[in-house]
Amino acid sequence: MSPTPDQPHPVTVEERLFSLVLALIATQIGLTKAEILSTVQGYRQRFQVGGDNASLERQFERDKDDIRELGIPLETIESPDDPGSNHHLRYRIPKGLYDLPADITFSSDEIMLLKLAATVWREGSLSAESRRALTKLNSLGIESTDPIIGYAPSLRAREASFEPLSKAMDRGQIVAFLYLKPGESAPRRRVVAPLAVVLHEGRWHLYGTDQDADAPRTFLLSRIVGAVVTVPGSTPAPADDGLGQRALAELDALWRAQVALITAQPGSDAAVRLSKRGTPGAGSDSVELHYTDLNILADELAGYGPEVLVRSPAALRDAVLTRLRQVRDDHAPHPTSSDAPTGGDR
Amino acid sequence: MNAKPVAFGASDKLTFLLSLVPFLMDHDSVSVSAVAAHFGVSEERVRDAVNLIALSGVPGETRQYLHGDLFDIQWDEFENNDTIVLTHLVAIDDSPRFSAREAAALIAGLQYLSALPENGDRDAIASLMAKLTRSSTGAPSQLAVSRTDSDVAISVIQGAVRAGTQVEFDYLNARGTAEHRCVDPLRIESVDNDWYLRGWCHLREAMRTFRLDRMSALRSTDAPADDHDDAVVLPDSLFQGSADDLTVTIKLPGSALGLLADYAPVPTGPAAADGLIRAEVRVSHFHGLKRLVAGLAGVVTVVEPGAARHTVADWAAAGVARYESASGDSVGTLTPGAP
Repeated sequence: MSPTPDQPHPVTVEERLFSLVLALIATQIGLTKAEILSTVQGYRQRFQVGGDNASLERQFERDKDDIRELGIPLETIESPDDPGSNHHLRYRIPKGLYDLPADITFSSDEIMLLKLAATVWREGSLSAESRRALTKLNSLGIESTDPIIGYAPSLRAREASFEPLSKAMDRGQIVAFLYLKPGESAPRRRVVAPLAVVLHEGRWHLYGTDQDADAPRTFLLSRIVGAVVTVPGSTPAPADDGLGQRALAELDALWRAQVALITAQPGSDAAVRLSKRGTPGAGSDSVELHYTDLNILADELAGYGPEVLVRSPAALRDAVLTRLRQVRDDHAPHPTSSDAPTGGDR
Repeated sequence: MNAKPVAFGASDKLTFLLSLVPFLMDHDSVSVSAVAAHFGVSEERVRDAVNLIALSGVPGETRQYLHGDLFDIQWDEFENNDTIVLTHLVAIDDSPRFSAREAAALIAGLQYLSALPENGDRDAIASLMAKLTRSSTGAPSQLAVSRTDSDVAISVIQGAVRAGTQVEFDYLNARGTAEHRCVDPLRIESVDNDWYLRGWCHLREAMRTFRLDRMSALRSTDAPADDHDDAVVLPDSLFQGSADDLTVTIKLPGSALGLLADYAPVPTGPAAADGLIRAEVRVSHFHGLKRLVAGLAGVVTVVEPGAARHTVADWAAAGVARYESASGDSVGTLTPGAP
């Protein structure tokens, strides 16, 4: 015989959430907020009959959000007799939408691949999402085939803007941020409805509708400076589920259309690395490199110092030379006074 | 699979509870240790979850959480034999769907994996992604990863890892010197588009990390690799410092710190009047640093020591000299003079 749940014990957050999910799945017609607060484990202990339950109501609002974030379809039903009234709203979780579709099965090989895919995200909130997806997958009880040994592929999004942008995208929110457009010296505020976040050629891009231009634009996450904030307004969930692939296709087209010709010093780091990425150009030691962003490529090529000479386009050649001159001048032998600490610890 | 301890929040615990119930339903009688192994969690966590499930349920007709409204287990089996036998179910009996974000995280992971030679079966991956989409509540968020052309080097090394043999290749170090290396390959790692081999270097007689794109003339050999499994634990970070490292002070905008994450910069104080912060990085020599700093013109400046500034300035000046000596060429429309 089990102990009875009515014995006084502190109800943990997970017990309250678990009890709420069970209660909302078990009901066909839905429960009103009053019914939930007065009867469901974790709420009922704190419910005051005829009293002020404002903090308990706020708790319920937060719990609803947390439950929905886990992919649990918590529905709100308006009373047909009293539309628009919050008082008679009913809440429920339709079991048919909660359950994994019955015809979905995974093979042992597929489970192995999904487990590997889940370890790809090593940090950030997507690592937690992957972990929870894996827990749900494990509930199916399918044993995985032996994993591929010796691999540890991982995706990282170092840009601070990645998390707020991807979350805003999921919630259909509009965001604003300062963007330092390549070739401009001062950042400009952009207001964007995010549609997709994509990794192309090792760089994260945001694809979204620029609210001022009312047209799709692509932004490099590394050029977003400062915080990403949400602004009032919302954007309907895009009907097109291929927006990520479309953004990648546009970046691919741009990449193919732009090509630089460089000369790499034979045997140098630049020759070894860049020749693997590009194709041999006309003339000895020359390499053709495709690119999506001239300034990003200029940064990279400047890093190779004397190992690389840009032949074309002229704008890239100028950009690399400008960078090299700046680095040379910034590191001139006699530091300017602002560089020298006033303390005597040198 | 991932041994790193992770903070387990209420969302994780709820997900575990909702996932454990259908699993237990499908297993008439299962030991705590088997459940822990299957889900990759501690036995303690399994026992906590079972205790909670067994006392949970729905308010029921009476709204009193009576016995019949609760899950139930065979308590004797659980308490005496550490074995779980679920005897009564409430409300749920099936696995929950994925959230849109969970599905998106797995789909993006699959897209990334599909670049690897072993996962070349595009149809299988596409069908798996379609299943995930159908298994999620709401359309998965649009998170996409482009295919990169898989490097033939990955296949060569992967084959050697599996066969337990050494690989050899020519490798340029950051000083620009080429050396022939024989390596016992242990693991291939990647971060985004950069791939690394981690293994035992017979030349250095130490664990080393090599960039795949710096290798030339890579081939696998017949020489068996030594057994390092017990002796060597691979650290999580790709690069480790050593006692001989040199400390370099740099200045940069605080927002740019992330660009140097591989170097683990340590800020030494608040931002100065110019809005820049000072930070220290540790490097084994200045030759990697000069490449890094020259690629971040106007962002990162070396403050001290003077020798490091000098190395960077020489590197950039040599680059400038190549253009100035080539400026007589008909190539390009270089504007003379300072920018």
